[in-house]
Amino acid sequence: MREVTVRVNGAPRTGSVEARKTLADFLRDDLDLTGTHIGCEHGVCGACTVIVDGRAVRSCLMLAVQAAGSEITTIEGLATAQPQPTSPDRPPGAGLGTLQQAMWDSHSFQCGFCTPGFVMQATAYLDAHPDAGEQEIREALSGNICRCTGYQSIIDGVLLAAQRSREA
Amino acid sequence: MPVKLPYVEYEAPTTMAEAVDLLAEHQDEASVLAGGQSLIPLMALRLARPAVLIDINGLSELVGVSVTDGTVAIGAMTREYVAEDSATVGDTVPLLAAALPLIGHDAIRSRGTIGGSLAHADPAAELPAVALALDAEFVVRSRAGERVIPAADWFEGYLATSRRPDEILAEVRFPAAGPGTGVAFLEVARRHGDFAIVGLAVSLTLADGVISDARLAFAGVSDVPIRAAAAEDFLSGERPSAELFAEAARRATAGLDPPADLNGSSEYRKQVAATLVRRGLQAAADNAYERQ
Amino acid sequence: MTQIAAERYTGASIKRSEDPRILTGSGRYVDDLKLPGMLHAAFVRSPLAHGRVLAVDVSAARALPGVVLVLTGADLEAVTVPGQDPLFAMMGGGGPAPEYTLLATDKVRFVGDPVAIVVAESRYLAEDGCDLVEVDYEDLPPVVSAAFALDPGSPPLFANLGDNIIGPHKRSEFGDVAGTFAAADQVAEYHIDVHRHQNVPMEGRGCVASFDPDSGLMTVYAATQSVHITKMGVATRLGMSPDTVRVLAGDIGGSFGLKIGASREELAAAAASRALGRPVKWVEDRGENLAASGQAREESFDVRIAVSNDGDLLGLDAAMVLDNGAYPVMGTMVPAIIEGMFPGPYKFAALGFESTAVATNKASYIAYRGPWASETFVRERVIDLLAKDLGLDPLEIRLRNIAPRTDPPFMMITGRPLVGVTAKESLERVAQMVDIPAFRRRQAAERARGRYLGIGMATFIEAAPGPRSPEAGSGPMGMEFMRLTLEYDGVVTLFTGQMPHGQSHQTTLAQIAADEFGVPFSQVRVVVGDTDVVPFGLTGGSRSATMTGGVALHGARQLKAKVLDFASLLFEASAQDLEITDGQVQVRGDPDSAVPVGEIAQQAASGQFDGDVDTSFEVEASFDGGEGGWSGGSHCAIVEVDTETGIVTVERYVAAEDCGALINPSVVEGQIRGGIAQGIGAVLLERSAYDADGNFQSATFMDYLLPTACDIPRIEIEHLQTVPLDADVNFRGVGEGGMIIAPPTVVNAIEDALAPFGVRIYEQHLPPARILELIAEADAG
Repeated sequence: MREVTVRVNGAPRTGSVEARKTLADFLRDDLDLTGTHIGCEHGVCGACTVIVDGRAVRSCLMLAVQAAGSEITTIEGLATAQPQPTSPDRPPGAGLGTLQQAMWDSHSFQCGFCTPGFVMQATAYLDAHPDAGEQEIREALSGNICRCTGYQSIIDGVLLAAQRSREA
Repeated sequence: MPVKLPYVEYEAPTTMAEAVDLLAEHQDEASVLAGGQSLIPLMALRLARPAVLIDINGLSELVGVSVTDGTVAIGAMTREYVAEDSATVGDTVPLLAAALPLIGHDAIRSRGTIGGSLAHADPAAELPAVALALDAEFVVRSRAGERVIPAADWFEGYLATSRRPDEILAEVRFPAAGPGTGVAFLEVARRHGDFAIVGLAVSLTLADGVISDARLAFAGVSDVPIRAAAAEDFLSGERPSAELFAEAARRATAGLDPPADLNGSSEYRKQVAATLVRRGLQAAADNAYERQ
Repeated sequence: MTQIAAERYTGASIKRSEDPRILTGSGRYVDDLKLPGMLHAAFVRSPLAHGRVLAVDVSAARALPGVVLVLTGADLEAVTVPGQDPLFAMMGGGGPAPEYTLLATDKVRFVGDPVAIVVAESRYLAEDGCDLVEVDYEDLPPVVSAAFALDPGSPPLFANLGDNIIGPHKRSEFGDVAGTFAAADQVAEYHIDVHRHQNVPMEGRGCVASFDPDSGLMTVYAATQSVHITKMGVATRLGMSPDTVRVLAGDIGGSFGLKIGASREELAAAAASRALGRPVKWVEDRGENLAASGQAREESFDVRIAVSNDGDLLGLDAAMVLDNGAYPVMGTMVPAIIEGMFPGPYKFAALGFESTAVATNKASYIAYRGPWASETFVRERVIDLLAKDLGLDPLEIRLRNIAPRTDPPFMMITGRPLVGVTAKESLERVAQMVDIPAFRRRQAAERARGRYLGIGMATFIEAAPGPRSPEAGSGPMGMEFMRLTLEYDGVVTLFTGQMPHGQSHQTTLAQIAADEFGVPFSQVRVVVGDTDVVPFGLTGGSRSATMTGGVALHGARQLKAKVLDFASLLFEASAQDLEITDGQVQVRGDPDSAVPVGEIAQQAASGQFDGDVDTSFEVEASFDGGEGGWSGGSHCAIVEVDTETGIVTVERYVAAEDCGALINPSVVEGQIRGGIAQGIGAVLLERSAYDADGNFQSATFMDYLLPTACDIPRIEIEHLQTVPLDADVNFRGVGEGGMIIAPPTVVNAIEDALAPFGVRIYEQHLPPARILELIAEADAG
C-alpha cells in the first residue's frame, strides 16, 4: 500500500492504495467522487475522462500512484464555476458552468452515464480550441461513446457553449 | 472477464541509472510503464501479468525534441500530444506529424508516448510504420551501456522488439526531411481514431520532377510493419503519374499475406493496401509540391 | 378534442429536471452506492461454449485474504428455488421450459456462463479470487449455428429436452395464402439474414443486494426497467415472501431492454448477501456485458412475396428461424410479434408465417429495443428487391400499396385496424425533404466520376401503444397505474412504476400533470424506483408516452376535481366556478380570490371537516390507453460507398415521423436520433461474433464497435400532423421506432449506391470487407 496525495478540484486529497489501483477507482472509491463513471475499463469509451494537469485523460488508463502531485479536475469540480442567472422556470441552486448550462439548454443527454466524460473532454477541448467548428468538435469527441443520443444534441451543446463564450 | 489489474509490485525510479538497475534486477519479470495506454488495458484484462512495473514517467531526461545535424532526436517519454503540437516536429519530421493525429483520441495522446508506442510495437499502430519508413534509429540503454538499433532490426514480431529485457528505449532518432520531400499517412479504420485495418506511411522526395527517394511502410498487414521495398525501387528515378502509382501498388502488395480477423479477410487487406498505395503516393506527391 | 387545461408545458421542449444532477456528476447510479460493510462480487465464468462441469475447486479462492465467501452452483441450489428468467416466466409463451440451475452445476452452455461467485472486500480481490478457482471441464461439441441446432443429431443443451428446439415450429395463415400465391402474376423468393448484435448501454447490469438478518428484509438497489418485476424475480428465486423484498432504483445508465427482472448474477449476489448478512455489490464489467448479458436479432427468413405485374403487393409468406442462445429470456416471444406486425401499413391480402426457435451455445436472446424489428427490415428490404426486379420505383411501389385511411379503418390481415396511420403522408413528406429527382441527377454525375452515392427509404408502423382492439374491448397495452397526491406544500406528487433510464419521465410526466392540474412545472414531483411506494409498472415497449402520459393526465384531472370539490366549501362557490392557475385556486376571473393550493391542502389536513367531506387529496388512477393509436414514419438516407475500401458514410438522414402529440419535442427527437444511431451501428459496425467453436470474439470495445460522433450525421426530423383518435390522450410512443426503421433505410441506400455493380443485399451487417465481397460476388455472378 502506498500513500498518494493529489490535488483534486483544488483541494489536496490523500489516500492509501495498492499500486494497481486505477485513478478512476481511486477517485470513485477512495475519494467518494462518483461523478467520474466507468464504462469499459480498457480505454475506449471515455466515460472516465478527467482533466490531469490541464489535459483530458482516461482515468481508467492511469494508476492512482501516477497521479501523485498532479492537479486533477473532475466533473464535480466544474459545478461551482461561474453560477448562471436563474430564470423563472429553472430549478434554483444549480451553479452550472457555461458548458453545462449550454448542454442543459440543448437537451444534450438522456441517461447521463456518458455525461461526465463528455463534459470533461469537451471542457479540455474548448479551452484549447475555443473557435472549433462542428466537424472538429465531432472528431474531438469521437473518443467518447454515447448510446442514447446519436450525438447531435451533445454537439449542439458544445457549439452553443463555444458561441456563448465568444460572446461573453 | 476481468477488468481490475492483477497484483503487481511497483517501482518509480527518478533517474535513468535507477531505472536500468531495476531492469537488470528484474529482467523479463518486469514491464516498463510509459504512457500506459497500451499496457494498462492489457493488465486490466489480465492478459499481461508482469511481476513488477517500472514506471519511467519520472525520468524527465527522456523528454524532449532536439535537432542536430539533420537528425531529430525525440526522447522516449515525449508525450504524443507534445510531439503533435511541436513546430519542430512539423517542420523536420512531417511524416510523424501527419501520423500523430491519427493515434487514438486526444485523451490517449495526453499520456501516450513516442517511445512507449514504438516499444509496444503493435503492427497496426501508426508510429511503427513511420519509424520503419524513415529508417529511424532506436537508442536503448542498460547498465551495460547504450545500443543504437536501426528500425529494420527493431521490429521482430507481434508486440516483440529487439529490446532486451534489461534495456529501456531512451530515444528515437529520425532523419530530418530534406528539400522536395512530401509525405502522407493514410489509413483505413472502422472509425475515426481506431487502429488501422491497413495504414500506410509514405515519403516521396522529388528533384526536378523525378522521384529521388520513395519510402512506403504498411501498418496492419503483418505481425510487424512492412517496408514495400520492391515498390520503392520501382518508383525511384520515375516521374509521378497515376499509372506509375498503380503499378507501384501492384508491386507493393504482391508479396503481402495479411492476417484475417473480424475486420476483414487477408484478400480484403491486400485490396485496401493497394488502394492506399495509389492514394498515398498521390497525396505525398501533392504534398511535395505544396512544401516546395 | 378537449385541450389540456392550460397548455403551457405540454408540447414544449421544457428543460429537463434530471439535468442539473446529471451535468454535475451528482447522479446516483448503482455503482456509486456505498453501504456500510458492503462487499464486492465477481464471477468465475466458463471459457467453453459447451461442456460438462466435472469438478469445481474453490479452496484456494476461499483461502485468499480478503475473500469472504465463495459459492458454487451447487451451493446456490441449496439456498434458492429453481426457476426461469423472470421475463421468460412472465411471458414465456408456453413452449418447452429447459431446466437449468442458477449458476452452472453440471453443464456450461455458452462462453461466459457463470459457474461460481466470489465475494471479497474489493472487486480487485474478488477477481483475484476468481483466478484461483479451478474448474474441471469436459468439452462437448458446441452447437453454434441454428442449422446445426435444428439437426436432431446436435447434442442437446438441456437434459430435460430431447433436442434443441426451444420454440417449436408453428405456422399461421391469414387470408387465402395458397390462392393468393397461385393467382399472382409473380412470386419472388428471398432469403434474408439478420445478424446477432446487442444493447450495450453505457452502464451494464448491476445491483447492491442488502439482506438485513435482524429484520429478514432484503433490499436490492437495482438498475432495472421495473422495480416490481425485479422484486418478483428476487422473491421467487430466493423463496422469500414478496413483502420482505424491497427494490430501489436511482439513476440508470441506459438499458434498451437489457435490465428487466433479475439476472442469474444478481440473484446469486442476493443469495450471497443473505448468506452473509452484509450488502453485496455486483456490477458487471464491459466484457461480461458483451459476452454474457445477452444479445439479440439473430434470425433468418425465407420470404415469398406475391405481386401483380403492376406492383400490387398481394401476399407475404415467411419462414423464420430464431437463434435463441442457450437460456431462454425473450427470444421465443419474438416470432409472434413479428407475425402480427409483418404486413406493416400495406394492403396485403394474405400472410403465411411460420417460425422455429432453437437453442445454441451462445448468450441468451434478450429484449433489445424493438425486439420485433426484423419484420420491418425484411419487409422493407424485400419491397426494394422486388421493386428492382419489376423495374418499379421504390417510392412508387410503396405509395401504391399503403392501405388507405378509411372509415371504418382498413384491417391488417393479422387483425388490427390501421386507424389513424399516416404512412402515405410520411412517405410523401420524406420524399419532399430529400428532393429525390435532384439527388438522382447528382448521383449520376458522381457515378461518372467514380463516386457511388445511394438513396434508400423505408416506412414502418409501431404499436405504440397500438389501436384499441375492437373485439376484445380492451385497451392496446393493458393498464397503467399511477398514484397522485397533493401535498400540503402545494406539490403534486406522481408515484409511477415507470423506471426512466434516459426517457426523461421526471420531466415529461411533470409537464402533463402541471398543465392538467394547474401548477407550475417546478411544483410537480415524479417519484420512481421504490417498490414500497410506486404501483406496478415497466418502462418498455414504447408504452409510457401514451399509457403513463395518459394516466398522468387523467389522474391529475381527477385530483384537481377532488381539490376543487373540497375548495368549493372554502370558497362558498361551486366547483365549476373555480379554477387552479399557476398553483393557486381562485374563482374564475377573480385573481384577488386566489389561494395557494398548498393552503387548501393544509386546510384539508386540518381535521376540521366531518366524515362525509372527502379530504384525501390522493388519487389511485388507472388508464387503459384510451383509443390508442399507431406510431410510425418514413425515413430516408443518403450514403456514399467507397468501393475501393468498403467504407460507408451516411451523408444525410431524414425522418418524417408521426408519434402523435408531442409531450416534449426535444425528448422525442433525442429518442428518435438515439434509435437511428443504433440502427446505423447495427448495419455498419456492430456484431456479436462467435467463431465455429462458440468462442466469443467481441468481448471488448475494440471488437464490438459502437458508432461515434463521426459516424452519425445530423438527423433531420419533421413531425407530421397526427390524426387524433382520443379526446385527451394522443401521445404515442417513440422509444423504439428509430432502431426499427434505420437498418432497412441504410441498407436500401447502400444497395442503391452499389446498383451499378448489380449488388443485391440479403443481410443486415455490412462492414467494409463485406461491401467489397458483395461487389466481387456480383461481378463474378
